[in-house]
Amino acid sequence: MSDIDVSKERVNTSRAARSQQEMPRLSAEEKDDLVHRYHPDYKKEAYATLRFGPNKGEQTVHELARLLEGESPVPADFPALKPAHQVDILIIGGGGAGATAALTAKAAGAKILMATKLRLGDSNTVMAEGGMQVAVSPEDSPIRHFVDSLKGGHMANDRVLLKQLVEEGPSVAQWLIDLGVMFDREDDGNLSLRAGGGSSLPRLLRCKDYTGLELMRVLKDCVLNEEVEVLEFSPVIELLTDGKGSCTGAILKDLDNDRRIVVQAKTVILATGGIGRLHIQGFPTSNHFGATGDGLSITYRAGASLTLQDTFQYHPTGAVFPEAMAGLLVTEAIRSAGAHLLNAKGERFVYELETRDAVASAVIRECLEGRGIQTPAGRYGVWIDMPLVDQINGEGTLEKRFPNMIRQFSRYDIDIRKEPVLVYPTLHYQNGGIQIDAEGESTLKNLFVAGEASGGIHGRNRLMGNSLLDIIVYGKRAGAAASKRAAASDFGPLSLDHLSRFRKERSEAGVNSDVVSPMLFPDYVKKQ
Amino acid sequence: MWHLGRPMLHGVGCLGGVCGACPISIRLPNQMAPKTALACQTLVAEGAEMAFLPGDASKKEIAPLPAETPNQNTLFQYYPETRRCVACGACTSICPQGIDVMASVREAMNGKLAETADRFVDCVMCGLCAAVCDVKVRPHRVGLYTRRLIGAFQENEATQLKKRIEEIGSGHYKEQWAALMEEAVH
Ligand SMILES: Cc1cc2nc3c(=O)[nH]c(=O)nc-3n(C[C@H](O)[C@H](O)[C@H](O)COP(=O)(O)OP(=O)(O)OC[C@H]3O[C@@H](n4cnc5c(N)ncnc54)[C@H](O)[C@@H]3O)c2cc1C
Ligand code: SF4
Ligand code: SF4
Ligand code: FES
Repeated sequence: MSDIDVSKERVNTSRAARSQQEMPRLSAEEKDDLVHRYHPDYKKEAYATLRFGPNKGEQTVHELARLLEGESPVPADFPALKPAHQVDILIIGGGGAGATAALTAKAAGAKILMATKLRLGDSNTVMAEGGMQVAVSPEDSPIRHFVDSLKGGHMANDRVLLKQLVEEGPSVAQWLIDLGVMFDREDDGNLSLRAGGGSSLPRLLRCKDYTGLELMRVLKDCVLNEEVEVLEFSPVIELLTDGKGSCTGAILKDLDNDRRIVVQAKTVILATGGIGRLHIQGFPTSNHFGATGDGLSITYRAGASLTLQDTFQYHPTGAVFPEAMAGLLVTEAIRSAGAHLLNAKGERFVYELETRDAVASAVIRECLEGRGIQTPAGRYGVWIDMPLVDQINGEGTLEKRFPNMIRQFSRYDIDIRKEPVLVYPTLHYQNGGIQIDAEGESTLKNLFVAGEASGGIHGRNRLMGNSLLDIIVYGKRAGAAASKRAAASDFGPLSLDHLSRFRKERSEAGVNSDVVSPMLFPDYVKKQ
Repeated sequence: MWHLGRPMLHGVGCLGGVCGACPISIRLPNQMAPKTALACQTLVAEGAEMAFLPGDASKKEIAPLPAETPNQNTLFQYYPETRRCVACGACTSICPQGIDVMASVREAMNGKLAETADRFVDCVMCGLCAAVCDVKVRPHRVGLYTRRLIGAFQENEATQLKKRIEEIGSGHYKEQWAALMEEAVH
């Protein structure tokens, strides 16, 4: 037997004995220490100081700094800015936040255009598995939800944004239900709730392990029903401003015809999502193909501030084997349902429902200290014991609650009902992002931001299930605020003045890299 | 594809088996006939024959939810051709998600909306089922509309959720918030 098989056998044989074992929780000090020592956010070599721009002097990872300080694809002598579209609101990004903003703005009577990089709905939203946090149960309250999230975020959350998030949770859940989202129910009709890491009570609404797919399918259907004009395969490559601190439109790139499209808009809502495909610090990622942080580089260039741009979430359990699945998520809900994490010796090493940063740090520690398991492709990982879920909750639980997970592994002849699988942290979420106020407006006037692209709500670590809530609550807020603003304003002049300023600052700071941003897509083409 | 040195855009989305952007037809050397699959979820083997299939081009009806509790006629109003299904099974054979699409369509025909809704939970809206249907049924659209009907018109209300919304609306938490925000700011 190979080392892997020996170790796997240990997991299988120790299952019965472990099922009753209590794992101590970490004290606040222990957790701090663990995270400081092993979490990738604390790896100094991975960070650079921004040399110019709104966040000059602050830190972020090299991969992002390069893009923020990168050159625009729009040449200085770009031909006259003649708009092909004139709308009240331009919505950038066709994920959950963008779709929600579109529906809200449409309902408010605004004339809108949506531009998205791939197809409408190709996003991180569609991939979400575990669920959406809403304080629904009688024992729970928005206050408790707030406190849990604040603790999870290391007290760095923007309090006002967080309060709105938790307080509007129940009403947006109702909004989704009214659109026809099928959340799992109890027999009496109440929403079925599950526990999530870092939460003091079960608070996750979900649709099996297809929560994001369910949300996105319905939201997309609504956007199509409302006959919103959508330009697919048309990413934004540059914002336009009036040169006096207001956003007035954007330039899109029509990928199929390689044309540029100028859009003039009274307000812009940016909902471009996350950064997983930057593969920060070499990590694999759970994110969709277009998660390249485009929103961050274009807004930074246009002069809007970022916040908490130095903190990322590494989901503790991304698959590492088979190689083709590397990075793909093993949902946290599996751990909520009782699955254990085990090192090469078949021993547990952390309470599985600590916050994600702590669990990820513990997995990295095990692997660094030689207690990980090496895959044939040379990656390291630890075991996640999913068969235990059936043992604890009864035969058939995995099948009923995690059909997606079973299907994904079965394609590689792995039956998660029978054997453990190997996992390692995967780059999952951008905790920070573009700074917004209570209505979702950035520091650049008339530019609103919603969803994962924004920052502040989640502090330095987002709790499971708070992001799906975020995209709906803030998608709605941005949609409403932008419509109101647009109704009271005229079109502003279109200029690239901010680019001239950016280029000047860039050369003064001595930056002359040939990196062009936004990245749009990761380059996976094998160099021959 | 990338490993073959070819960049691609259409036919890529989530890379996680849920967005339906990447349906392919693939035949391994030891197989007689090709099968459909999601490319991002498929391990390519030496000697496999593979082709990307086109995306969903089926017509999307503008189908809003009704004001009152739906029945099967609500569905037929937008998707009347559903009743023409001849039970040929083509949709079931092609579905890369292994959904028994034909059975779901038959249930929809017979007004068993809840059953139809349940079966389509894994549907990634790739549209292949509609593309192969001779009588132009659009099973995935029927499935999604049915799910929305069932989702929006649950028999039993989520009473706890209703109550919480009322509590928040009535200012029930006002004092606790005041104290908490005060503390949080200092
Ligand atoms: C595998 C996975 C599982 C998850 N599970 C959960 C969970 O259980 N619970 C939870 O709360 N959260 C979860 N999350 C996080 C959550 O899904 C995302 O944070 C959230 O959906 C982001 O929504 P969004 O609308 O902000 O961005 P996205 O949904 O990513 O949408 C962004 C959109 O913008 C488009 N875009 C990008 N760049 C451009 C450009 N330059 N121009 C135009 N368009 C552009 C993209 O193509 C995409 O359509 C999960 C995430 C992943 C990846
Ligand atoms: S039901 Fe149709 S659209 Fe849905 S996954 Fe199967 S073939 Fe694709
Ligand atoms: S392909 Fe069309 S006719 Fe054949 S079983 Fe499916 S829905 Fe019915
Ligand atoms: S790329 Fe989304 S299902 Fe394959």
